[in-house]
Amino acid sequence: MTASVHRDVSTAAPTPDVLRDLLTTMWRIRAFEERVGALKRADEVHGLIHLSIGGEGVAAAVCRQLRDGDAVYSGHRAHGHAVAKGTPLDRTMAELMGREDGLCSGMGGSMHLVDVAHGFLGATGVVGGNIPLALGSALAAKQRGTDAVAVVFFGDGAVQAGLFTESVNLATLWRLPVLLVCENNGFAEFTPRSAHTTVERVSDVVAPYPLPRTTVDGNEVGEVWSAFSELLARARAGEGPALLECLTHRLRGHYEGDPDRYREAVSTEDWQRKDPILRLQRAGHDAGWLAADEPAALEAAARAEVDEAVAWARSSPFPAVARAAALVESGGAR
Amino acid sequence: MAREITYIAAIMEGIHQEMSRDEDVLLIGQSVGGSPEDPFVAAFGPDRVRVTPISETAEIGMAAGAALAGKRPVVDCTMAEFLLVAMDQVVNEANRFHYMSGGRVTAPLVLKAGYGFTAGWAGQHTGSIYGMFMGVPGLKVALPSTPADAKGLMATAIRDDNPVLFLHHYLLTLETGDVPEGEHLVPFGQAAIVRPGTDVTLVATGWTVHRALEAAEELAADGVSVEVIDPRTIAPLDVDTVLASVERTGRLVLVDQATRHASVSAIIAAEVAEAGFASLRAPIVQVTALDAPIAYSKPMEDFVLPDVAKIVAGVRRAVDATVPHDAATAVR
Amino acid sequence: MSTNSQDRVEMFRTMVRIREFEERVKRTFAEHPGVIRGHTHLADGAEASIVGSIAAIRPGDQVMATYRCHGYPIALGTDTTAMMAEIYGRSNGLCGGYGGSMHLADPERGFLGTSGIVGQSIPQATGAAYAAQVRRAGEVVLCFFGDGASKQGAFHESLNIASLWKLPIVFVMENNSYSVSVRVEQEDANAAAGEPLATKAKAYSMPGVTIDGGDPDVVYETVAEAVSRARAGEGPTLVESLVYRLSAHGNSIAPPGVPLHYPEHEAVTVFGDVAEYEAAKRGDPVPRFRGALVTGGVLDAARADAIVAEAADEMQRAVDGALAGPEPEPADALRFVHA
Repeated sequence: MTASVHRDVSTAAPTPDVLRDLLTTMWRIRAFEERVGALKRADEVHGLIHLSIGGEGVAAAVCRQLRDGDAVYSGHRAHGHAVAKGTPLDRTMAELMGREDGLCSGMGGSMHLVDVAHGFLGATGVVGGNIPLALGSALAAKQRGTDAVAVVFFGDGAVQAGLFTESVNLATLWRLPVLLVCENNGFAEFTPRSAHTTVERVSDVVAPYPLPRTTVDGNEVGEVWSAFSELLARARAGEGPALLECLTHRLRGHYEGDPDRYREAVSTEDWQRKDPILRLQRAGHDAGWLAADEPAALEAAARAEVDEAVAWARSSPFPAVARAAALVESGGAR
Repeated sequence: MAREITYIAAIMEGIHQEMSRDEDVLLIGQSVGGSPEDPFVAAFGPDRVRVTPISETAEIGMAAGAALAGKRPVVDCTMAEFLLVAMDQVVNEANRFHYMSGGRVTAPLVLKAGYGFTAGWAGQHTGSIYGMFMGVPGLKVALPSTPADAKGLMATAIRDDNPVLFLHHYLLTLETGDVPEGEHLVPFGQAAIVRPGTDVTLVATGWTVHRALEAAEELAADGVSVEVIDPRTIAPLDVDTVLASVERTGRLVLVDQATRHASVSAIIAAEVAEAGFASLRAPIVQVTALDAPIAYSKPMEDFVLPDVAKIVAGVRRAVDATVPHDAATAVR
Repeated sequence: MSTNSQDRVEMFRTMVRIREFEERVKRTFAEHPGVIRGHTHLADGAEASIVGSIAAIRPGDQVMATYRCHGYPIALGTDTTAMMAEIYGRSNGLCGGYGGSMHLADPERGFLGTSGIVGQSIPQATGAAYAAQVRRAGEVVLCFFGDGASKQGAFHESLNIASLWKLPIVFVMENNSYSVSVRVEQEDANAAAGEPLATKAKAYSMPGVTIDGGDPDVVYETVAEAVSRARAGEGPTLVESLVYRLSAHGNSIAPPGVPLHYPEHEAVTVFGDVAEYEAAKRGDPVPRFRGALVTGGVLDAARADAIVAEAADEMQRAVDGALAGPEPEPADALRFVHA
C-alpha cells in the first residue's frame, strides 16, 4: 500500500450550503477567540491561554463533518476545535472564566476543556499527549463495531515526540479508525520547525508507514473539507487511520503574553491573503453564493452570540471550594 | 559584592558562570538557544548551547550519554511535569550508572525544571511533584527559595558528579534578592535557618518559605517565636538541623506545597518522630496541599494550597497541643 | 572497502570467542546452578553482526548497547574472565558485581554501557555522539539495539535529533524478528506490510539500509561506510542488520529457589515453528563464515580448529576465574551510590 494519497480534491468539494455553514462556524470561533483575548487582558480570563485565530478553517472543516459520537481530542490550542465540535459558547466561556457553570465547573480551564455530550473529549497541556488517547477511543469504537471515529488535533511540534511514532505504528498495525490532523504552522513553542527536525512536511515523517497522508493548505477551507471527507469515509469503512496535514499560520504569539519577538513579522497584507475567513468570503463572493452584505451580518451575529455568552458566564458564580476536594474521588459529580 | 537581581536571573547567572569556567558544560532544551542573539549562544557558541525538539526522552537520555562521554550537560526541561514524559531516563538510568558499573563511569548532569505554579495554569502545569524524586538512589534534588540560593545551588549542581534535579519555583521567578556577583556555591545537604526562634520549628521549601516567614511575623506579634528552616536540598536532606532545632523548641510544624503523601514534610516528620521523639512536646503538624489536582478556578485553587492563614493555624495547633514535659512521660 | 585475509581471520576468531563465551554462560545454568542469578541474554547468532560492526571502528570511538551486551566488549578487547566474573556477581567482575549480565561497561575501551529498558540507550548513545561532535576529535559512536526498540518513542526522538544535528553516530538495529516472544510482524506496521524496518530512516532524512547480518564481510563494509560518513560530518545512518538469535530471549525468570534454565527458542515454544528454527541453525553465521574462509583458502581447517580450541581454553579460564572470584563484601552495597 502506498502511503501518499493525492487525489483530485475537487471531486469531493463542499456545496455552498456547507461553505456558508463553515463560514458561520468560523466567525463564531473568531469572535469567541478575539473576545477571550480581550478578557484575558482584562484579567477576567486567566492562566495560560492559546488562541486559535487563524485556525478556524481547519477546526470548522474537520469538526463539522463529525457526529457527537465521534471523539475529538485537541492540544493546548483547543477553543476553536471545541466550539466547532459543538460545545456551547456560554458554557465554554464560563469555563475559561473559571465559573461554576463552565463545561468543567471551573476545574479545567482553557487547556482542559471537556464536553462528553458533544464528543469533545479533551484538550491537553502536554504536547501530543492526547494522541494515544485518541487511539483508545478509536479502539473502543472498533471493538463495539460502530463506524464512529476518533480525531486528534496536534501541532507540528508534537510530531518529534516519541509518542507520535509509537501511535502511528500502532494505529496502522491495528487499522484503528483514528484521524490524525496536524496543524503545521511551522513553529513549536518559540522556535521554527527547522530547529526541530530536518523534515519539513509532517506527512513525510509518516512516509515510512503504510497509511494515507495528505497535505493541504489549512487556510483553504474547501480543500480541507474535501481532503478530510475522503479520509473520514475510509476510516468509517474500516480501512484504518490517516494523517491530514494542514499548513497554517497563527496570528498571535504562542500564548497570550508572548511578545512575539521570536516570529518573523507577518505583514498585514500577508495576513489578508492568508486569513481563512477573508479567503472564504472572497471565494463565496466570486462564486456568487455570498452576497456583499453577508460577511458583516455574519460577523455581527457571531459577536452578538459571544456577547450573550459572556453575559451568561459572568452571571455564573465561582465554584464552591468544597467541590475541589469532593471531585478528587471518582464517582464525584458527573 | 552582592546586588539585587531576580531569582531567574540568578539561576541563569549561575549557569553562565559555570559554562565560562568549564568548557565541558553544555546547555540544551526546548526554550534554549533558539537564535544566535541568545546570550548563551553568543557567549558559548552553537556547539554548547542547542535548542531541542519536544523530545524529553531524547533530551534527558542524550544528557546521560553525553555525561558518560565526559561532558556536563544542563537540560532545561522547562517544567517538572514534562519530566514525567521521560520518567525512565530521570530515575532509572543516569542515576544508576555509577553504581551499576561499580564506580567505573559517572554521569554528571543537571535537569532544570520549574514547579509549583498556580495562577490558573491548571491541572497539568501546577504540580509540586518533587516527592517522586526523593529517595531515588543516585539522584540529588535541589529546591532553592531565594535568588542567592538559586545561583549557589545551580553552581554546586553543575560541579556535582552526579545527576541533579534542580527545581525552581515558578512563583519566585521575578522575586529579587541579594546575590553575590562572583563565584557563589551553596553546599548540598545543608539546611538554612532563615529566621531563628525559640518556640516552634517551622520547616518549609520553595515559595512556602516566604509564606512561613510571613506567618512567623504574624505570630511574633502574639508572642510566639517561630524558627523557620529551609532544607534547600531534599536529597541529600539535612535532618540534623531540624532535629537540633526541635530539641530547642519541642514543636515541629512542616509546610509543603505537595500533596500530603508525596511531600517532603512527611519524610521529615517521620525522621523526627523516630530520632527526635524525646524532644517533642506536641504532635508534629503538617500543613500541605490537599489531595487534589490544582483546579483552574481561583477559589478552588486557593482552597487546596497552603497559605499564611493555614500556616498560622498549624502553628497554633502545635502550641495549643503542647504537653508539659513531666506530663509527657506519664503513662496513659 | 574490505578487510584483508588477516583481518577476516581475526573476525572469525572473535566470532568464535563470542560464541564460546555465550555457550559457557548458558552451560553455567546446568553445570553450576545458582551461580548466575537474574536474567541473562545471549548474542549467539549475532556474532557476525557484532564483529563486523566493531571492526569498522577504532580506539577512541564509543559503543552503547542493550542488555544483550556480552558480544560487544569481547569484540572491543575486554577481559573475558572479568566479564564472566561480573555475570557471576563476583568482586573481580568487570563492574565489581554491581551490574551483572545486563550492565557491562568498559569505558576505557569505549564501551560506555547499556540500558536494561528497551530503547533507552539510543538517546544515550546519541548524547555520546553529541559530546564527540563537540570535542572535534573525529570520534564516532555505534549504537546497537534490537528491532523491538524501533517502536519506542526514544528511537524516533533520537534519530530525529541525530539527523538534525548531523551527529557522528551509526544506528545498528539487529533485527532478529522477535521481541521476547512477539514476532515483528505482530508489532511493527512496516513488517506487517512486508517492508524492511530500514524504511523508517526515511522519516529522518538519513540513509537506511538492510543487510544480511550473518555475513561479517557485508556487515563490515556497510558499517565502515556509515562510520566514514559520520566521521566526515555527514551525519548518521540506520543499518538494519538481519540476524537470528539462536537462544531464547533469555534464561527463565523465576523467584529465588526455583532453578533457572534456558528454555527453547520462542519460535518453537510459542509458534511451534520448528522448521524456522532448524533453518536458522543451518544458517548459523559462525560455521558459515568458517566455511567461507576455508573454501576461499584464507584459513585451513587445522588453523580453524586451533582457533576454536584456544577459545575453549580461554573461556574455561574465564569460568574458573569467575568461580574462584570472591563474593563482594555486603557493606560494599553502599559504595558508588554517588560519585
